[in-house]
Amino acid sequence: MTVKDAGRAARPAGRAPAKRSPAGDPGQQADSPELIQLLTPEGERVEHPDYPLEISAEELKSLYRDLVIVRRIDFEAIALQRQGELGIWASLLGQEAAQVGSGRALTPRDMAFPTYREHGVAWCRGLDPMKLLELFRGVSHGGWDPTEHNFHLYTIVIGSQTLHATGYAMGIQRDGAVGEDGEAVIVYFGDGATSQGDVNEAFIWASVNNSPVVFFCQNNQWAISEPLERQSRVPLYQRAHGFGFPGVRVDGNDVLACLAVTRKAMQAAREGQGPTMIEAFTYRMGAHTTTDDPTRYRLSAELEAWKLKDPIERVKQYLIRSQQAEMSFFDEVEAEATRVGARVRAACLEMPDPEPLSMFDDVLTEETRQLAAERAGFAAYLDSFVGEEVAR
Amino acid sequence: MTTLTLSRALNEGLRKALEDNPKALIMGEDVGKLGGVFRVTDGLQKDFGEARVIDTPLAESGIIGTAIGLALRGYRPICEIQFDGFVFPAFDQIVSQLAKMRYRSLGSVRLPVVVRIPFGGGIGAVEHHSESPESLFAHTPGLRVVACGDAADAYTMIQQAVRSDDPVIFFEPKRRYWDKAEVDVDGGLAAALPMDQSRVLVPGTDVTVLCYGPMVRTCAEAAVAAQDDGRSLEVIDLRSLAPLDTATIFASVRKTGRCIVVHEAVVTGGIGAEIAAQITQECFYSLESPVLRVGAYTTPYPPSRLEEHYLPDLDRILDAVDRTFGY
Amino acid sequence: MSDLKEFRLPDVGEGLTEADIVRWLVHPGDQIAINQIIVEIETAKAVVELPSPYAGTVADLLVPEGATADVGTPIISVNVGAGGEDTPRAAAPAAAEAAVPQEARAQREISDAEDLVPAPPAEGAPVLGATVLGATEPGMVGSPAPKAERQAVLVGYGVRLGTTSRRARKPSAAAAPPSAPAVPAAPAASAAPAAPVNGASGARALAKPPVRKMARDLGVDLSALAGSGPGGSITRDDVEQAAGSGGAPAVPGISGVAIVTPAAGAREERIPIRGVRKHTAAAMSASAFTAPHVTEFLQIDITETMTAAARLRQLPEFADVRVSPLLLVARALLTAIARHPMVNSSWDEAAQEIVVKRYVNLGIAAATERGLIVPNIKDAHAMTLPQLATALAQLAETARAGRSTPADLSGGSITITNVGIFGVDTGTPILTPGEAAILAFGQVKDAPWVIDGELAVRKVCTLALSFDHRLVDGDLGSAVLRDVGAMLTDPLRMLAWS
Repeated sequence: MTVKDAGRAARPAGRAPAKRSPAGDPGQQADSPELIQLLTPEGERVEHPDYPLEISAEELKSLYRDLVIVRRIDFEAIALQRQGELGIWASLLGQEAAQVGSGRALTPRDMAFPTYREHGVAWCRGLDPMKLLELFRGVSHGGWDPTEHNFHLYTIVIGSQTLHATGYAMGIQRDGAVGEDGEAVIVYFGDGATSQGDVNEAFIWASVNNSPVVFFCQNNQWAISEPLERQSRVPLYQRAHGFGFPGVRVDGNDVLACLAVTRKAMQAAREGQGPTMIEAFTYRMGAHTTTDDPTRYRLSAELEAWKLKDPIERVKQYLIRSQQAEMSFFDEVEAEATRVGARVRAACLEMPDPEPLSMFDDVLTEETRQLAAERAGFAAYLDSFVGEEVAR
Repeated sequence: MTTLTLSRALNEGLRKALEDNPKALIMGEDVGKLGGVFRVTDGLQKDFGEARVIDTPLAESGIIGTAIGLALRGYRPICEIQFDGFVFPAFDQIVSQLAKMRYRSLGSVRLPVVVRIPFGGGIGAVEHHSESPESLFAHTPGLRVVACGDAADAYTMIQQAVRSDDPVIFFEPKRRYWDKAEVDVDGGLAAALPMDQSRVLVPGTDVTVLCYGPMVRTCAEAAVAAQDDGRSLEVIDLRSLAPLDTATIFASVRKTGRCIVVHEAVVTGGIGAEIAAQITQECFYSLESPVLRVGAYTTPYPPSRLEEHYLPDLDRILDAVDRTFGY
Repeated sequence: MSDLKEFRLPDVGEGLTEADIVRWLVHPGDQIAINQIIVEIETAKAVVELPSPYAGTVADLLVPEGATADVGTPIISVNVGAGGEDTPRAAAPAAAEAAVPQEARAQREISDAEDLVPAPPAEGAPVLGATVLGATEPGMVGSPAPKAERQAVLVGYGVRLGTTSRRARKPSAAAAPPSAPAVPAAPAASAAPAAPVNGASGARALAKPPVRKMARDLGVDLSALAGSGPGGSITRDDVEQAAGSGGAPAVPGISGVAIVTPAAGAREERIPIRGVRKHTAAAMSASAFTAPHVTEFLQIDITETMTAAARLRQLPEFADVRVSPLLLVARALLTAIARHPMVNSSWDEAAQEIVVKRYVNLGIAAATERGLIVPNIKDAHAMTLPQLATALAQLAETARAGRSTPADLSGGSITITNVGIFGVDTGTPILTPGEAAILAFGQVKDAPWVIDGELAVRKVCTLALSFDHRLVDGDLGSAVLRDVGAMLTDPLRMLAWS
């Protein structure tokens, strides 16, 4: 399924959604002067006085490669779900630039707190995509060590991770790790999450403590079926001002703008200037998850309009027009993406189920006697069935 | 040995914890400058500084959520929830995040967070200041839940809680904050009873009385009164509600054949219910009578003019003792 | 070579239990690639495109357009064998390298780009710390793909459908409760074996609460009993047996009724009906009023048997066992049963069947201090005479000591009652419930007898056989009685008939 097919994935069932979201209309706020952009949808390079960006051809091609591979993994995962290999998948289709741009702005020592859709950030951090598939296949709840790639586990409760990130940033302060070479935290959340109490509490804590945390909001215009106007009367980036720290809106489909804005905000945090909110103005091209049916609540015309702002297409156009890449480069990237997709597929199909007794592992740092007894009892129970071998 | 109130014992224990653990932090509403509404953290901010004793915004979920973040960064946060009834905004962070994150990470993450909660009633307060929500947490796998019953235990258990690598919900009987006891402030933790074990407070032969927190003193007093009835109560301070020290409980019940569980919490679905089920299963052949529970009625906490009827007291406990001999 | 795979209709997560096939985008014979869109299905709400999990040649479209298929139904079969390697003209770009899943596993070559992707585990290396599953086909065994056994819901794999049959369990599966009552000093089986921290573990008697109550009601001191239940716990039977032995004088034949001296002036004594008395009354009533009893009598000259018994006692085989006339009566009855098996049977009213037993569990009525009980010797038919003698002696001793177990007391197939020890000639015995016949053996005494036309003094006794006329008619009953009499008159007959 390519981007062009995304809109054909589901035909409207003949029922118009209740209302059309003005916030989702790319024609409106996207033109407002506050939307930071460095690469137009047509692939033209533009400058912004606050965000000078020097970027080499190699870096550009590398970003392009990231975008394509991230989209390919996402596509493969949707297909796997449609084939019954994953229970569910939350697609990032359309949000690749926001995630890759911000993800590549981080230094290795920065810490990232995702929600459950940041597969592109996971890619940038070097986390094995199979760990994500494990979660959606039901093999684990994530199960990776956050310190290995400085990428926290996926948090499914909406907005909770903003507090974790803020607390982590408070820890950085107490470690004295704030400074030019310091560390900072980025936390991801969506437009819907900005309504959650925890997110607002995080804004309070980060601001009164002046903590080194960047709040990266991917405003993809929809929280399942609810459009932005159900979440806020004001543009989201302006919320930060109410809490006393800067907020900025960036074109979430512009990988260069996301890169530049995030770099600057992270550096400010590192140096002790406190939090920033970045609102990446983007669009959720797919469904909320594979169990969602967007045709029930939004018009395909909206989708069609956003297709014209595809994050990957504009980078390709720019690379071609500026002659920073040969056509063979695009073929190579495509081939590599196909290989990656096939590997993801193969690894998913081979993924074994966890052993039943592993259910009892890692509840506490020291197993209680009660749990040990339950574990033993369950092992004996499993063993009592004809033909069943007790797992080790 | 020093005579200390329970509140002061906690204060001393927290002080020791901050001294022994450079990564230990205290955080909560009014814990810094004021020293806590019960003075449990009195003087600590002055001595350890604002970076380690933090006056937080008025946001319970924020307290626990940021504590989780600090723990991920390597700190040992000791959170205070000002009153039992105000833990609920933080309930999601506690059960969805604090309890589960180790399991979610297959053991990579550990969250050595202590959540101190003054609990229980009998202090003549308005709504939400007299709750006993401990069974909600004991029912949540991934948490340790303890309750101190006297100053001596408060002193050691708070230190043990801070040292634990697991999240600990630490219940403090607020109506006993001013009770005094002898505390061995110089005795090290090595000799102290582990946090996950119960203590036989009063040895006895006729009936096992299980209790924790504010009811420990009440049950000890009941044991004295029971002597006049010619009955020997064995009073056990459970101390640990999750996990339960079933070895101690079962040994006692097998000896006496009778058991009563006493708590301020509502009887329905309380800790006593779990204990009764386990005793019935494991000590069935030793029982002379069913396990009885003495606790609050299944109503919201009443206005304080009625609370003495609502909460268990010495007479209700001995009434249960009478009933257990009626089988 | 054909290698046919089927793709089963998955739950695409929209609450599907079924879907309509709207339009096939491929035809049999087409080459297809992995993830190529092959079909449009319509759910209750929208049309969804399904990507193929296989590369290969389409063999069959198993569900036609317009038809409805349940989730889990195969909808297409694809030949992934030899035809699968050709580059398909697929809508998906660069599908050439999208090989079949099995082959994809083999294709993990290192390429330049690979170090930028986290390296997948090496061939054969454990994946996720466990062994790799063999099955790689979606929708097949081993994959989490929802099969028909799950009910689709909107989120996740769906709810497993119910079943109405249990999984088979091994024979040793615990019927016993997981923790048998612990011997007092040890903690329960399910707790870790830590020594109790506080409180001594006293050696209290173990008994279920209802048994404790029964003991209290019967005036039995539990601490004085040894329990025959699990873990040494005291059972109801233990209590009942102990209940009778509360100080009554050991007069044989007088059942376990405590003799109560009436208070001065009282005209009546009231004795509670409980324990063995209660049980006996119930059994007798049930038997007497269910089975039509007929009793036949035979007086016999038992002199030869008495002589035989005395001679047997001299034999070394019988050096350590008691040889009583009862032993030979038992042996005679067992022989008679072999000749007339129907007498060793029971009437199964519920099943409307007569159960003829091919074994003899020989019950011997015993009068004990607690009352009348009928323990039986299992498989007496298979015993040698010395074995039978030993069994009889043990039975008597156990009964006298009040230690007959419930197993001893059940499962009998025929009974002998020795009324002779009470000093009477005969009686009309009542059948043990569930049996068809009972033989009463009266006292042996000197009496005048006619032998070869002349008067003589012989040892004489009377045999009485009561039988259940539902399944034993007069001719059979008489035959059995006659045979027993004949064998006891002339013990050599026992030899001839065995």
